[in-house]
Order: sequence, then structure tokens, then C-alpha cells
Amino acid sequence: MSKKPVTQPALHKVIMVGSGGVGKSALTLQFMYDEFVEDYEPTKADSYRKKILLDGEEVQIDILDTAGQEDYAAIRDNYFRSGEGFLCIFSITEDESFQATQDFREQILRVKNDENIPFLLVGNKCDLEERRKVTYQEASDRAKQWGVTYVETSAKTREHVDKVFFDLMREIRARKMEENKTNNGRGKDKNKRKKIKCVIL
Amino acid sequence: MPPPPVVTGLSPIEGPPGTRIIIRGENFGTKSSDLIGLKICGCDCLLSAEWKSPNKIIARSGPGKGKGDVIVTTRLNGVGTCNVSFKGYHETIGPMKESAVWVEEAPLFVWGRHSLSPGSYQQEDPLGLSVEGNDKKFPEDDLLELFPNATGDISSENFSACWFLLENHHCTSFNDLQAGLLHLRRKVEGQKEGQLSFLKANVGSVMDQADTIATLMDKFEKDASVYGSESTRKLEKSIKESEREARKLFDDVLTRRDRAEKTRNALNVLARFRFLFCLPCVIDRNIRKGEYDIVINDYTRVKNLFNKSEVPVFKTALSEIEKRVVGLQKMLHDKLQKMPIPIEEQKRLIRYLVNLDAPYEPAWDAIRSYSNYINLRFKQCYEEHKAGENAVAEELCKMKNSQSASKYSKFNSSYDSLNAVPENILFVEDLCQLLSELFPDLWKLGQSYFTGELHANVEVGHQANFKNIVMTIIDLFCKTLRSAVIPHTLDKNADKALVGAWTIPDIDIIALWLPVCLRYIRSTYKILIKLDLPSEALDIISTFILDFKLYCMSVLLKQTTEQVRQLSSQENWKIEFAGTHSGITELPIEFEELVQTVIRLIKESVLTTEQREISLLENANAQKELDKQVETLLSSFYSVLKSLAFQDDESGYNEDHSPVVSQLIGTPITAYRNHDANNHIPIWECRLLTTLSNCQYTNNTVLVHISRSFTMNGYSLSKLAIENVKTKFTSLEKALLDAYLEHKSDPLVGTIEPSMYLGRFDWDTNNIPSDIRPYAKECINNLIHVHSEVYTVSPSLVESVLPQVVQTIAEELFRLMSCVKKFSLAGIQQARADICALQEILLPYSTPKAKTFFNDALDIIPSLEKSSSTIIEDILKQVRVRMRLQILCLSSSALNGPVIT
Repeated sequence: MSKKPVTQPALHKVIMVGSGGVGKSALTLQFMYDEFVEDYEPTKADSYRKKILLDGEEVQIDILDTAGQEDYAAIRDNYFRSGEGFLCIFSITEDESFQATQDFREQILRVKNDENIPFLLVGNKCDLEERRKVTYQEASDRAKQWGVTYVETSAKTREHVDKVFFDLMREIRARKMEENKTNNGRGKDKNKRKKIKCVIL
Repeated sequence: MPPPPVVTGLSPIEGPPGTRIIIRGENFGTKSSDLIGLKICGCDCLLSAEWKSPNKIIARSGPGKGKGDVIVTTRLNGVGTCNVSFKGYHETIGPMKESAVWVEEAPLFVWGRHSLSPGSYQQEDPLGLSVEGNDKKFPEDDLLELFPNATGDISSENFSACWFLLENHHCTSFNDLQAGLLHLRRKVEGQKEGQLSFLKANVGSVMDQADTIATLMDKFEKDASVYGSESTRKLEKSIKESEREARKLFDDVLTRRDRAEKTRNALNVLARFRFLFCLPCVIDRNIRKGEYDIVINDYTRVKNLFNKSEVPVFKTALSEIEKRVVGLQKMLHDKLQKMPIPIEEQKRLIRYLVNLDAPYEPAWDAIRSYSNYINLRFKQCYEEHKAGENAVAEELCKMKNSQSASKYSKFNSSYDSLNAVPENILFVEDLCQLLSELFPDLWKLGQSYFTGELHANVEVGHQANFKNIVMTIIDLFCKTLRSAVIPHTLDKNADKALVGAWTIPDIDIIALWLPVCLRYIRSTYKILIKLDLPSEALDIISTFILDFKLYCMSVLLKQTTEQVRQLSSQENWKIEFAGTHSGITELPIEFEELVQTVIRLIKESVLTTEQREISLLENANAQKELDKQVETLLSSFYSVLKSLAFQDDESGYNEDHSPVVSQLIGTPITAYRNHDANNHIPIWECRLLTTLSNCQYTNNTVLVHISRSFTMNGYSLSKLAIENVKTKFTSLEKALLDAYLEHKSDPLVGTIEPSMYLGRFDWDTNNIPSDIRPYAKECINNLIHVHSEVYTVSPSLVESVLPQVVQTIAEELFRLMSCVKKFSLAGIQQARADICALQEILLPYSTPKAKTFFNDALDIIPSLEKSSSTIIEDILKQVRVRMRLQILCLSSSALNGPVIT
């Protein structure tokens, strides 16, 4: 990537987490290609990247669609480390998947070691209202507890699909700008001093 | 052009070869045939690609390893780009790994030992940290220095954590390392309960193994109860027993084999000795039988076996053998040099000699003796034919002496020699045959000698010597031929002595044989060319052929010239009226035929250039010679014609030739001169005319034909030669015409004056004219006579002869009129009537000059009044009626061609 010209738009790395079958891939494909896949095919690890307009600014979004199955739990750490923002997805028709979000949250925090990592709690399949098992209140309570936003989506009807991705990206962007500010003062100087030191030594 | 395809999504992003990948993106074309290329990690995967939609392709990954792009190429949009990358890895199959692949058993053993460190595990970082972007490797040499006897390999006993961290994580931030530590700790904890979970997962196989072990135990216990606790002792005893037995058997066989070998050796030695001592006899026998191959074989064998032996008996035997072999060598060598001998036989002998290690140079000796043989045969051939020639010459002498007086006998003898082939031609033939028979063998012998085919050592310098021999033979051949047929091309002093001289027969005789000679020489030359001789040798012959061709050509032309000269005696003066050229005799046609024949002959024999010959026409000398000869040839016909026309001036007819003046009788003078009835030769005027006609025909037709046929046969005569000849003929034509005119018009004109004043006629007469005067009539009759004479020979000549005569007549009339001193009235009338009549009748043949003379003559005569001129009109009318036939004679023939006169 470094070979490309500097004008390359900012890249935001989003990671989809959540139990198996909650609709991570469906959300991703709906967002990327306006496509709803009916067939269920467990994901191993998929990667998507494209240019989009975020509030008039051209950015690149990189989506890592991870595996929900326990079989792949071991490789998750690796993936999580590279993520800049997380969409933690559960299915409102399945309580178990909602409970699992707790584990995912913990794992992410452990890997990233950062309480304020951009993070959205997403309750998917909201078109299946009649089969709802997790109440909106329940979910938004947990989100409040974590200090994150809760959004209900439907990959099938594309409800709030764009919203979750764009909200997350805005968070990531805000977060990066903040980091730049704090880092500019210290980080650069530190680097410089270190270098000079080396020369003197 | 639409934007290129771009891959924006992969599912999944890694996998072993053959992983089914859903590729998503944009601009993948509008139909499946648009997809013309798909590369995954550099491997072409188009074959497995399945086009689903403009955004989706499903394919299987190829054998590519490591991270790489997925590039889609479509017909319209070209080569695409890729945002995401696929990582191919090669899965290693372990015993614990489910696999759709048949696992070979042999590698499994290897796996058994290393099962603790599966390949995929090594790729993973034990801290769970990404090593991506960690490109800057810590130098290994430094690590070795820092931690001697340690290594970064996790599976090693000397594993050093510091090494490992420096090697893999020297760029990793502290936070990450902390996270890694946590990860490692969790993993270790996980492994503790992992053992249990592993057993749980594989409970089936574990149970199986336990069962198998139990069964084994059962079996073993059963065996122990049957065979006692030490069940293997009995087995050991049996093995030892069988080993002892086997050894016993084997020893027996071995001793027997040794004995057999000894016997065989002894037999061999015996056979060898017998071979040695019997060999002299065997050699003798084989030499007698001519089986030299066997002798050579035995000799080589015996030399190999006993050459180094010091035993005196053997030495004696060997020396005996040597003696015989030397004798054989000598015999073979003599045989080799005895000529003639076929080349195969010679080669065989050479091979024998070489194989026998003879102290000669067999191949070279063979070549030398062969070349000597050729020279000898040349000489023999020469002597044979020379003797033949001498014999013929003697015989001729005898004949001449006995019948020298008789003309007939001379003719007869020359006739004989014409029939008999000249000895030198026979010599040429034989010599050519000799060379073409003998020389190829010599050359082949030489070639096989120098290419090493004869296995003889090629002595340095022999190559040049051989070339010298070849050149000498060829040179001698050419010189001998030259002396036989074209001695004038030889260098007189040096060569004549060497190759002998010949008497060259007459040109007539030799001309017959030269083309035959040329054919012989050419066929020999062809054989030599086929042999692939060096070009220097071939050049000698080709120069000779050129000279010979030149000579041949000039002889042919000379002979033809001679024949043309003979033509003059063959003239029969029979005029042929056939064809477009009437009035010619056979002479020009015969001449043309002769020339055509010689052209054909030359073309056939000399002018054609065969393989590797110098073209005669490209040689300047030859060209000049040919031009000269052709000119002479053509000119000779000129001389023939000339002599035919004028020869009789000197012959016995001169007494009759003086012009006769008494023309008044009106009888042609020729009537008197035809007295010599038994002579075939017609009268002189007739011959003159005939020759003139012939000359014209030759000049206009024959020469053109000849020059055309020269050109057609590939030889363009130089313009100059033709022009020279043409000029000659033209001048001859003119001379002939002049001679004839002079001969004819002089007497004709000369008679006018005497006839005019015959009977003392005076123009001052008083006799009223009643008719034109006799002199005018005579004049017309004479002219008609000339006309008929010319017309008989050739109507075409009339045009050139008569006007000249008429002009002379007109001139004479003018002269006579201007000499008249006085005209009476009647004289005027008479004169006018005469001249007008002549003018009118002779009009068809009047040249403008003649017309002027007539008019001038009329002007001189004093003019008349109209009344007295009527009488002239009357006379003219009368004349027209009376002389109707004469007038018709002159006019119609001029206008309408031949009419019976």
C-alpha cells in the first residue's frame, strides 16, 4: 500500500464480530453490494474494501467479516488486533447470541486494551419482530452500561445498515483525529529526540 | 473504455490450494464470456472461475503461496486491480487432521516424530501477535554472538526466549508485548484443560487403541502359557541349525567350482601353446589358400600373447612366424604394385599390409605405381597409334609410287583416307577412354588414402605429391591430345619432344572427325568433373577444350569456305522460276544450305557450353576468330559469283565477244554466238544477268537468313562482318549491272547514227515523210530484244536495266539532233515524227533525265506551222497502228508484268 501515492484516502478498518448465524456477512454484503444472501454459509474470514463518501470526504472502508463459530475462536485475537472499530452483532431472535456479545466485548477490550475503542452494539434481524427474544430495552441497557450506541438493523430490508457503518466510521475518524492531536505533540518529538540520541551515542 | 474491474471482496481471505473463493467487486463484465482472465496470487485460475454476476465470481484458488492479489481481466475493461488480498498456504496433513486426501503411510512415520510441532503452528506467533510488517529482521549473526549455544526455535532444547523476542518482536511495542504475554498465559491455561478436551474429542480412537492393547496382552499371555516364559529360545536354536546346514551345502559347491576353474585354465594354456607352435604351418596353409584375413588375425593374436615372452622356445616359434609374415608382406606388396589391378583388390591388399604392420607405405606405393601405370599406358597408346600412322603413310607412299601418274589413283587414295579414320583421331579416342577408365581409380585411391579410409598413416608432403601426380597426368593428357589434333597450340620446343608429333590430315578429312573428338573429350571431362577434382586440374582441361573448340570451329568454317569455293564448278545455269525470287539458279540456295549446315554443326558441337566449360563466345579471341572466319566464308561466295560472271573474259570465247555493228539486219547478235551447242554454259549476257540476279537474291535474302540463323543459334555476328560482306555484294551487283549495260547499250546506241544516215540520208531532204525512219524502228526492236533477254532471266531486273538503256538512247538522239546542220521542211517533219514516236513508245521506261533529253531534242528541231504539222500527226497515227505489237511489248510488260512477247 505504501507504494501508492500519498493522496490515498484514509482507511478505516472495521471488524464484524458476533456469534455464528446472526447476520454479520449479510450486513456486510448488504452494505457493500446491496445484496441479501438467503443461503447460510458459515464464514471463515472474509475481507472487503471499497471507497465511499463519508460526509463528503472520500475514505476507504476495510471490513473484516470474521467467523462466529467457536471453532475459529483461537484466531480471533489476531484479527482483533488490527481492527480500528467493531460492530458487535447479535440476533434479536436469539438470546444466546445476545449473551455472547459480553464475551466478544471482553475479548476486544483485552486485545485492544482500550475502553474507548469505537464500538457499536447491533441487534440484527429486526424485521423478524414476531420472533423477537431480546427486547430493545434489554439491549440498549447493556449498550449504555458499556458506553456505546445500540442500533437495531435488518440486513434483509436494509434498515439502518448504512447508518451503523457510517456511525462507526465517524467514531473511528473522530478517534483518529484526537489521537493525532495528542500524538503530534509528544510522539514526534519523542521520535526525534531518540534519533538524535542515537547519533550522539 | 469503462473502468477496469476491481476486486473489493474475498470470501474467505485465506486457504489452501483449491479453496472455493467468492470474489466480489465491480465491472466483472456483463456476461460470463467477458471474463478472460483470473489470477489468484499469481496463479491463473480462469479454468475454475464461474462468473455469477457483474459483481461476483466464484473460483478456486491455485497453488499460489503467501499473500497475493486477485486480478480479474475482462474483455472490455482490461486488467483489473485489487483492494483485498488472498493468502494461500499449504496445509500440512497430520494424523490429527481431518483430510480429504489419501495419506501415504510412509510419511506418517516422519510425522510421528514431529507431531508436536505441526507446520501450521510454527507459522503462528506464540504470543498471538501479528508479525506482519515486521520486515526488519534482526541480524542472525548478532544473535549468535549474544546467545551462544542458544536458538530461537521454540521446539529446540536450547530455546532462548530473549533470542526469540529479539528475532521476531524487536519492533513490537510494549503494549503489544503485554497483550502477547496475556495471550500466552491464557493459552497455557487453555492447554491444561485442553488435554481433557483432546481426549474428549478423540474418545473413539482412544477407546480403539485401548481395545487393541488389551487384545495384544491377551494374545501374549496365551502364547506364554503354551510355549513357556522364554518362547524365543526354541526359535533361536532352529535358526542356528539351519545356518550350519546351509554353510555346509555352500562350501561343497564352492570347492567344486574352484576345481572346474583350474581345469579350464590349464586347458586354456594348452590351447594357447598349441596355437603358437602350430601357427607357422597354419599361416603357410592360409597363404596358399589366400585367406589373408585369417593370417592377419592369427598374427595379431600371437603377437599379443607372446611378444613379451622371454622363453626361448616361444621366441624361436615367434621368429619362425615372423619370417613367414615378412614373406607374405613382400608377396602382397609385389602384388599391389603389379598393374593392372582393380581398385577393390588394391584396397584389400593395402588393408592387409597395414594390418600386418608392413614396413612399406602400401597406399602411397599403390598410388605411385598406378600413376606410373597410367603414364605407361599413355605411352603405349601413343606408340601403337604412331605405328599405325606410319604404316598408313608407308602404304600411301607405295600407292603413290606405283600409280603416281594416274589422276584416278590419287582420287582413289584420298577417297580411302577419307573413309579410314585418321590415326590421330583414333588415338584421341583411345586416350580419352584410357583416362576415363584409369584415372577415376587413381583419384579414388588417393581420396581414400587421404581421408584415412585405408587406415594407412598419411605421410606429410604426400598430399602435395599426389596433387602433383594428378596435375601431371592431366597435363600430359591435354598436351598429348593437343599434339594429336591442335599441335599449333603447343609450346614448340618443350612439348613436342615430350608428347610426340603427328601428321595432321587434310582439313576435309579432319573436319569430319573433330566433332567426334570433341564428344570423346567432353565425356572424359564429365567423368573428371564428377570425381570432384581440384579446379586447377579441371581448368587445364577446360582450357584445352576451349582451344579445341576454337580450332574445331575454324576448321568447320574453313571447310565450308572450301565447299563454297567448289560451288562455282557446280553452277548449271538452270534458272528457277519458282518462289518469290525468280530468275535465280540453285547456287545461292546451295550456298545458304551450306552455311546453315555449318551453323548447325557449330552450334551442336562447339557453341554449346557444357558443364564447367568456358563459353566460346565469351572468349574475345574466339569471337574475333569466328568473325573473321564467317566473313571469309561469306566473302568466298562473293568470289564465286564474281568469277562466274567474269571468268569467261579470259576463256576461249573472246574472239566472238567483240561487239558486232551490223544491227540493221534486226537479228539479235546472240544468234550467231550460240554456235557452241554442246557447251552447257549459256551465253555471256545471260550468265551476267543470272549472276546479277543471284547476287541480288543473296544480298537481299540469303544474307538476312544467315545472319538471323546465327542469332537464333545464340551467336550474334558482329555488324561489321555482315556489313563488309554486304558492301562487297552490293559493289559486285553494281559492277555486274554496269558491265551488262555497257555491253548492251553501247552497240545499241552505236548503231543509231550509222542507221540514221544510211543511204546518205540528209535532214535537208525534200522527200515528204510517210513513215518514221528505219533507224527509229531498229532502235525500238533492239530495245525489245534487250527487254526480252532480261525478262527471260528475271522480270525484276527489267526495271533496273531498261531505263538506263532508254536514257542512253535519248541522249544519243539529242546529240545527233544537235549535230544536224540544216533541216528542210520535210526533214523537220521527219525528225519530229521520229522523235515523237520514240518518245511515246519508250515512255514507260523513261527516266526524268531521258524525258528531258527527248524534249531538248525536240526543241533543237525548228518549229513548224500548224498546217504542216498535221502530217506528223498522221504519221504518228500510222505508226501506232503499224507498230501496235511492238508498243504493246514495251508498255504492257512494264505495267502488267509478264506477258508473252
